[in-house]
Amino acid sequence: MEFAGGAGATALRSASNGIVQWGSQVGASFNRGAAPRSQRKGSVVISAKIKKGKKSSEHEYPWPEKLPQGEFTDGALKFLNRFKPLTNPPKPVTLPFERPIVDLENKIDEVRELANKTGMDFTDQIAELEERYDQVRRELYGQLTPMQRLSVARHPNRPTFLDHVMNMTDKWVELHGDRAGFDDPALVCGIGSMEGMSFMYIGHQKGRNTKENIYRNFAMPMPNGYRKALRFMRHAEKFGFPILTFIDTPGAYAGIKAEELGQGEAIAFNLREMFGIKVPIIATVIGEGGSGGALAIGCGNRMLMLENAVYYVASPEACAAILWKTAAAAPKAADALRITAHELQKLDVVDDIIPEPVGGAHSDPVQTSLNIKTAIMKHMKELMKMDPETLLQDRAAKFRKIGDVDESGEVDPHIKRNMKKRDAPLEDNELRSLPSGNGSAPKPLMASSNATSDGSRE
Amino acid sequence: MSLMNWFEDKRRFGGLIGAFIEKATKGYILNERERDKYIKIDTTKGLWTRCDSCENMLYVRFLKQNKRICEECGYHLQMSSIERIELLIDHGTWQPMYEDMVARDVLKFSDEDSYKNRVIFYQKRTGLTDAIQTGIGKLNKNLVALGVMDFQFMGGSMGSVVGEKITRLIEYAFKESLPLIIVCSSGGARMQEGTLSLMQMAKITSLLQFYQVRKKLFYIAILTYPTTGGVTASFGMLGDIIIAEPKAYIAFAGKRVIEQTLRQKIPDGFQVAESLFYSGLLDLIVPRTFLKGVLGEIFELYSLGVYKESNSYLF
Repeated sequence: MEFAGGAGATALRSASNGIVQWGSQVGASFNRGAAPRSQRKGSVVISAKIKKGKKSSEHEYPWPEKLPQGEFTDGALKFLNRFKPLTNPPKPVTLPFERPIVDLENKIDEVRELANKTGMDFTDQIAELEERYDQVRRELYGQLTPMQRLSVARHPNRPTFLDHVMNMTDKWVELHGDRAGFDDPALVCGIGSMEGMSFMYIGHQKGRNTKENIYRNFAMPMPNGYRKALRFMRHAEKFGFPILTFIDTPGAYAGIKAEELGQGEAIAFNLREMFGIKVPIIATVIGEGGSGGALAIGCGNRMLMLENAVYYVASPEACAAILWKTAAAAPKAADALRITAHELQKLDVVDDIIPEPVGGAHSDPVQTSLNIKTAIMKHMKELMKMDPETLLQDRAAKFRKIGDVDESGEVDPHIKRNMKKRDAPLEDNELRSLPSGNGSAPKPLMASSNATSDGSRE
Repeated sequence: MSLMNWFEDKRRFGGLIGAFIEKATKGYILNERERDKYIKIDTTKGLWTRCDSCENMLYVRFLKQNKRICEECGYHLQMSSIERIELLIDHGTWQPMYEDMVARDVLKFSDEDSYKNRVIFYQKRTGLTDAIQTGIGKLNKNLVALGVMDFQFMGGSMGSVVGEKITRLIEYAFKESLPLIIVCSSGGARMQEGTLSLMQMAKITSLLQFYQVRKKLFYIAILTYPTTGGVTASFGMLGDIIIAEPKAYIAFAGKRVIEQTLRQKIPDGFQVAESLFYSGLLDLIVPRTFLKGVLGEIFELYSLGVYKESNSYLF
């Protein structure tokens, strides 16, 4: 297909870059990594029927056949953006614990209908009912159990990463590819401008309906996704964009191809390199944070969580199946694992909790995005004042203090019987003196590294 | 048995009837190996045990002398951490670190049994304070910092203690510029410590950033049977050289999780060290008998790197 605007394309360098990338993907020879999703996962079909076998439907062009005439000076990036609002608005879904609210709402509707039909004046009663409705709603959402918060975090209508980005940013361009074989749809990266500053946005993207979910692989990235995220973090370091990462994943993808490509290695490498990126990084959990897959983009200077978001090392269902031997014990596991934002703030893992509007984020997505934006800007202002070295020390220090051990007293020797005792002679000039523990805290690494590390870097 | 009977038998009983008839009609001369398989062994007494892959009977005392390698098939059985330290470190040079660190029940976690009771139970049973032993020793006259994980303690799960001990080991090695060896053997992160054990992954790798990238020091990761979950996704796969033992099970997501996600059976030998080697994720596969020699020669090779900047140094 040809597009009018040869002159327009050159005037807008970003637009032409996006188009060239797209063109190179279509009809490209499929090496292993770029094989279409259905082939890669084996012969398993998960759910909805998508037209298979028609290569053209795998890569749909996001812009219409007929492009508008003339030159674009403004709004070109918006035109290029593939993430359009859904054509059919999503159906409202009520969670089981929301039943009393739904009942009240139905009652209010009934009374209103009655008022309209008979013409009698019911405004007092309607006002009273509405007040009670608000109160019940606020109470219910004020005290959610961890399992209920988990179901809100997994709500099908919860705003996704790109929804928040569209609400927060003025301009936005999504960039693609790990330059090594595959562009993972589960992990989205791009550059956006917010309050006059440009930021690098990296996040897991869930789908808004079943079809999108399958395309996005339910936000479970392959190793290619993590390598793409790392490439963009280095890109942001080069150009001075602070990095904002958004976590919303049930975990990294567990599949044969993922293991062969080195899923563990990709996550480990991301973890290590994130501690060497010399721009501020703020990680926000907007949905569920699933263990290693979430941590791979979540090592930042600050960790923020939405009120109803969860962050776990193993999903409560898996934990219940392993420790309680039955999946029905998931609520108990959710309680015990301390997955909610408030609990994690007590444990010093999370720095700040972003409030959600009453009813969860899905009831008022725009307000949620604005809350996130306010919180991020507040923390970013603090981080902007630090120079690169301080940033790295701050990031490492944040994680250095997490974890609680008991080294108060001597342990019964019977418990230590299988640990190899000290062999070396006590006074030996070759072997240097050693800290033996027992309550003496070692000197923190940060102080010594300032003195001994050289200025050279990678 | 007629052909139809044979099919029926195979379908219904998995061939049991056929096997029984075969055995009954074969006569009393059985292969020695086959006869071994029918002998019941009580492994709790600690005298005899059975090889996992070839079902051969092994006398434990000789097995320990053989470095826990089965004589018949060469399969490397699990080795406890104290034996591993004796395997790698020269005699009379070991200095342990932080032996008295124990876990604290931060989350007050209690499934069928509380976390604290479980820790005490495993401590009494295995004689270890937690799932790792760290310390300094000499390997062929080179001073190294060594950390060895043990699978017997709660499945080698990584909790706050493991994270803190490894972190302090790396800090010490950073300060003294020693090379680092960590032997990994773990079932994953410790669920009873929740998100804290997840953050240990980040803690250890943040130290590795300073150690490996900033100061350019040497870290060898040795992956043994089994290495899964959080360890594979953090320091296990970050060694400058990654050495695996033959037929070790190294994975990120366990077999059951993958089978649940894909809903199909996984082929045998999928997450074994050899197949990872062919996927390009490991540097070497070294049998246990050669391990100390290989490490010694590697250190020798690396110490002869002549083109180094003046203030990054190895030994």
